[in-house]
Amino acid sequence: MLTAENIYKSYGQNQILKGIGLRVKPGKITALIGPSGSGKTTLLRCLSMLEAPNAGEINFDNKTYRFPLDAGDKIIPPWPDLTVVFQQLFLWPHLTLRENITLPLKRTGREQELEHLESLIDLFNMRLFIDRYPDETSLGQRQRAALVRALALKPKFILLDEITSSLDVEQVGLILNELKAMRDRGIGILIITHLLHFASEGADQIVFMDKGQVIESGAPAILKNPRTDRLKQFVSIVEAAT
Amino acid sequence: MSVFDIIAQYHVGLIQGLIVTFKLAMIIWFFGLLLGGVLGCASARWKKSIGVPARLCSFLLSGIPILVFLFWFHYPMQAILNVVIDPFITAVVALTIVNMFMVADLIRNVLAEFPDQYITAAKVCGLSPMQTLFDIQLPLILRQSIPGLLMIQVNMLQATLFASLISVDEIFRVAQRINSIVYRPVEVFTALAILFLIICLPLNGLALWLKNRFTRRVFER
Repeated sequence: MLTAENIYKSYGQNQILKGIGLRVKPGKITALIGPSGSGKTTLLRCLSMLEAPNAGEINFDNKTYRFPLDAGDKIIPPWPDLTVVFQQLFLWPHLTLRENITLPLKRTGREQELEHLESLIDLFNMRLFIDRYPDETSLGQRQRAALVRALALKPKFILLDEITSSLDVEQVGLILNELKAMRDRGIGILIITHLLHFASEGADQIVFMDKGQVIESGAPAILKNPRTDRLKQFVSIVEAAT
Repeated sequence: MSVFDIIAQYHVGLIQGLIVTFKLAMIIWFFGLLLGGVLGCASARWKKSIGVPARLCSFLLSGIPILVFLFWFHYPMQAILNVVIDPFITAVVALTIVNMFMVADLIRNVLAEFPDQYITAAKVCGLSPMQTLFDIQLPLILRQSIPGLLMIQVNMLQATLFASLISVDEIFRVAQRINSIVYRPVEVFTALAILFLIICLPLNGLALWLKNRFTRRVFER
C-alpha cells in the first residue's frame, strides 16, 4: 500500500498542498483529476519522494517516512519499487529505446529481468522500433518505451503524470489497455489525467483535487453523480470542452 | 620557384617552425582545457562566488582582440613589473588565459543547460548518483561540448600565429623569414595556407561531424 497522510507543501508563501490524504492500493488504478494548478503534480512529486513535503507522512510497503525530516536525517526513497513516468517521458536521448530499458535493469542488479524483456517488448508491440533512438520514434512509441522502462523494473507502484496528454484517441486506448495489464500484474497505479472518460473507464478509484485539497474521492461512479458542487462544476466544464 | 619547391627547399625550417607551433598549441590546449574545464565546472557549481567573476572576466576579455592582449602581456605588463619574460612563455600564458575563459564559458553553459529531468528519470529508475554521472550526465555533457571544444582549439591553433609578432619562432615567423630571403610572398604564404589547411580542415571536419552526429541526441524532442 502507498498512503499519504496530512501532506503539506508550499513554495515560499504559496501553499500548494493543504493536508492531503491519499491511498493507492496494489493491483488498482487510482485516477487523480482536478483543474490545472490544483496541486496534482506536486502531490505526485511528494508521493514519489522527488520532493520532500513540508509536513505529513508517507507510508510505502510498511515503511513510514515522516516529514519534516529531523536535522541531519536523509530519506532513502524506495526507487525503483516506487517509480514515476512523467508527461515529458525523460527518455535518455543518447541511448536507444532498448538501452533506455536495459540500463536501469543492469545497474540495479535486475539482470534476470532481461529474460522477460522480449515478452514485454512483444506485449507492448515495440519490436519494430525498439532499437531506434528516441528522436527517431513517434511520441506514442516513446510513451510505450517509458512505460516499459518503468514496468521492466517490476515496481510495486507506478505514478503516471499526464502520460496521455499528447496522444490521439487510438493511442489513449492502447495505453489504457496496457495500464489494465499492469494492474492485473498486481501493480498499484496512480495516474494524473485530464481525460474523464479515461479515468471512468480505467480507474478503480477517482480522487478529485482542487486548491491543494482532496474535494471528493470514490468509485468512478462519482463522475456521473458527483456529491460536491465543485466536482459537478468541473465535470460539466470538462465534458463541455471535449 | 613553386609552392612545392619552397616547401622542399625550406622543409627543415618549416618543420622547426611547425614543431614550435605545435608545442605552443599543445601547451595552450592542455592548460586551457584543464583550467577552463575546472573553472567552467566551478562556475556552474558556485554561480555567485566563482561564476559571476568568471563571466565578468570572460566578458571583458571578449572585448579585447587577442593580438592586443598578447602585446599587452609582452610589453606594458613586463615594463610595469620590470621583468623580461621569454616570448614563448608570454605567448603560452596569454593564449592559455584566452583559451581557458573560452572553454570555461562553453562548459558552464553546457552544465547550466543540462536538463535536470534526465537525472530525475535516473533517480526513479533506481540509478545511484555515481551511475547517473557516468551513464547519463557525462555522455550527454561530452556529446554537447566536444564539437564546440574542438572548434575553440582549432581557433587557438590559428591564434598561435600572433606569437610571431612577439618574436616566437613559430611557423608564421619562419614563413616571413623565408619570404624575406626568396621574396615570393604568394608562394610562401600559399605554402603556409596549405600546411594549415592540412592540419585544421580535418579537425574542423571532425568537429562538424561530431556536432551533426551527436548533438541532436542530447535533448528530448
